[in-house]
Amino acid sequence: MNINIASYCRLTNHKLEVNDIDIQIQKTEASSLNDIYRHLNLSYPKFFKMDNLSKAGFLASELLLKNIIIDKETPKKDMAIVLMNRSASLDNDRTYQTTIQDENNFFPSPSVFVYTLSNIVNGEIAIRNKIMGESSFYISENFSPEKIYSAVMNTFSDPNINQVICGWVDYEFNECDVLLLLIRKENQEKIPFNVNNIYHLYT
Amino acid sequence: MEALILELKKEIIEVLNLEELTPEDINEDAPLFVEGLGLDSIDALELIVLMEKNYGIKLNNAAEGRDIFKSVRIMAEYIAKNRTK
Amino acid sequence: MEKNAWFIMIYQWSNNIISSLGFTTEENYTAVKQGNTGLKYYKNPFDFPEDAMLSLIDDEHLNNAFSSINTKQKTAYTRFEKAAILSVYKALEKTNIDVKSKKVVFILSTTKGNVELLDKKESEFYEAERVYLWRSAQLITSFFDNPNEAIIVSNACISGAAAQITALRLLQQKIYDFAIVIGADVLSKFIISGFQSFKSLSVDICKPFDKNRCGLNLGEAAATIIYSSIENNRPLLSNNIVLLNGAIANDANHISGPSRTGDGLSIAIEKTLQNINIQDIALINAHGTATPYNDDMESMGITANQLENIPINSLKGFLGHTLGAAGVLETILSGVALLDNMLLKSNGSENPETICPLNIVLNNQNSFKTHFLKLLSGFGGCNAAILLKKT
Repeated sequence: MNINIASYCRLTNHKLEVNDIDIQIQKTEASSLNDIYRHLNLSYPKFFKMDNLSKAGFLASELLLKNIIIDKETPKKDMAIVLMNRSASLDNDRTYQTTIQDENNFFPSPSVFVYTLSNIVNGEIAIRNKIMGESSFYISENFSPEKIYSAVMNTFSDPNINQVICGWVDYEFNECDVLLLLIRKENQEKIPFNVNNIYHLYT
Repeated sequence: MEALILELKKEIIEVLNLEELTPEDINEDAPLFVEGLGLDSIDALELIVLMEKNYGIKLNNAAEGRDIFKSVRIMAEYIAKNRTK
Repeated sequence: MEKNAWFIMIYQWSNNIISSLGFTTEENYTAVKQGNTGLKYYKNPFDFPEDAMLSLIDDEHLNNAFSSINTKQKTAYTRFEKAAILSVYKALEKTNIDVKSKKVVFILSTTKGNVELLDKKESEFYEAERVYLWRSAQLITSFFDNPNEAIIVSNACISGAAAQITALRLLQQKIYDFAIVIGADVLSKFIISGFQSFKSLSVDICKPFDKNRCGLNLGEAAATIIYSSIENNRPLLSNNIVLLNGAIANDANHISGPSRTGDGLSIAIEKTLQNINIQDIALINAHGTATPYNDDMESMGITANQLENIPINSLKGFLGHTLGAAGVLETILSGVALLDNMLLKSNGSENPETICPLNIVLNNQNSFKTHFLKLLSGFGGCNAAILLKKT
């Protein structure tokens, strides 16, 4: 049995690359994630309710899974989502803080509070694709191929799991830093899932 | 009333992040929840915040909101009667 | 988990709870067994403009206890860090573990860490980096001179179970000899206002599974379990709690509302109970937050696995919902109770009524069965189940 990288997506402020294909999009600082959404012609109005972190992870997952998950309705119990980042949900937490900072203008926003947890991005990807396997989120000071590798291999301890969407999903101070991988247990050997390959796809 | 209905539509679009809609797309007599705009429980809670923040009307729970949020027109009529701002 | 004749058993060497009910596991268990709740009504807690029913760690006690162990450090620690460090310290005291060893790893479970530092009134006292969970984790591990980076699990309210599952996997692979699992969260205006904006808080003591339940109470705590491993053909030294299995599954339905069918929880339970005789299960310690939807959802997930006759309780009426600490804290108490042949009552619950009827423990009762199941659910549609037994 081999553990392969079946697909990847790299999304930053300067790059959008999916399986070695560079997707050219005119990006402005202010609304780049919304622009990508429109460029992809997705019909998913809930997108606009998401915080930046969830938007970034969601868009990367749409590209990662394009032509792989065609049927978004059937439950996928053998697929897990294991993500990691440095800033948790701080980008959105700071937005939420603005709704409660001023005692005289104190209006906590439920639609913002909902996104004050980093694993919500897992939830958004799961809902969109009906992915019902394990869903985990870890925090690390720095991007670490070793930690990602280790977390995914531990997820495969669950014998019911055959596929894992994994990677680094970070968004803070207008900087988007996402690498998503789709990892699969397969008979044939393709691009092996290992620390070196993760590192090369990130840099 | 028409001015309030238009204003309310703009505010709903903004606070609920209905980015792809314009006020003209919203029928003031259509249901907001289940059918119509298909809003959900978090949207209902956000509308409760809108009522207090913009109009000074305090609702205590989602159940109170259910009757008021039936359509934009019903919301506007309730606001016109009860607003303190 | 493969069923071999030989395998590694993961067991709890030591534990600790820091909460409104005390600063040791024993104090917490004694209080809960006597039916005492740590929930109190607070006026404008943390400058929040409304009142709230909360379970809070006593500040003076925390500061005094922490000062007495903080002999060499010059760092100023936040409330969150103090609670976490103190809990680990007290759990370690009961062991002879060399915490400076590379074979010891910390696994931190928390939802919001030092989030109150985002408030302009608080932020001036600490460096900007202090809001990052990895920074707090560094301060915690370095207090003990542990050389490894902590593994930080941030998986909403299931983090406490997720951290234990991580410990189980790492110890079974013999990557480490000891896993110090700490679950900790402290409350703040940030957290309380957020739950209030969901209208999900009850101003009275919550009523898990009750027909009149109307919301949850928030709590704060730090809880530590030190897990160790031993080959199953070697005897354990004394009465112990062994962690057997665990699983996480997603509802894939809504990011904050529980699934209306309990699908994710049902899958997590099913995976956890593979090859288990359910007659051995003494108790299911539920998430049981006492919101109308959560408790109904749990009843469905439980019933889907034919577990509805097994005694079920929730500890939220004693200590509130302690977020990242909940999974660890409630596992400790349920295990201590089981070693005492006891099932603890669900404080606050009087007339249970859920979509699927359950066997709710309303008064403390004896049980001599050996296994218990801990359930948790969290925002993002995640659900966890872990199975433990006493030896």
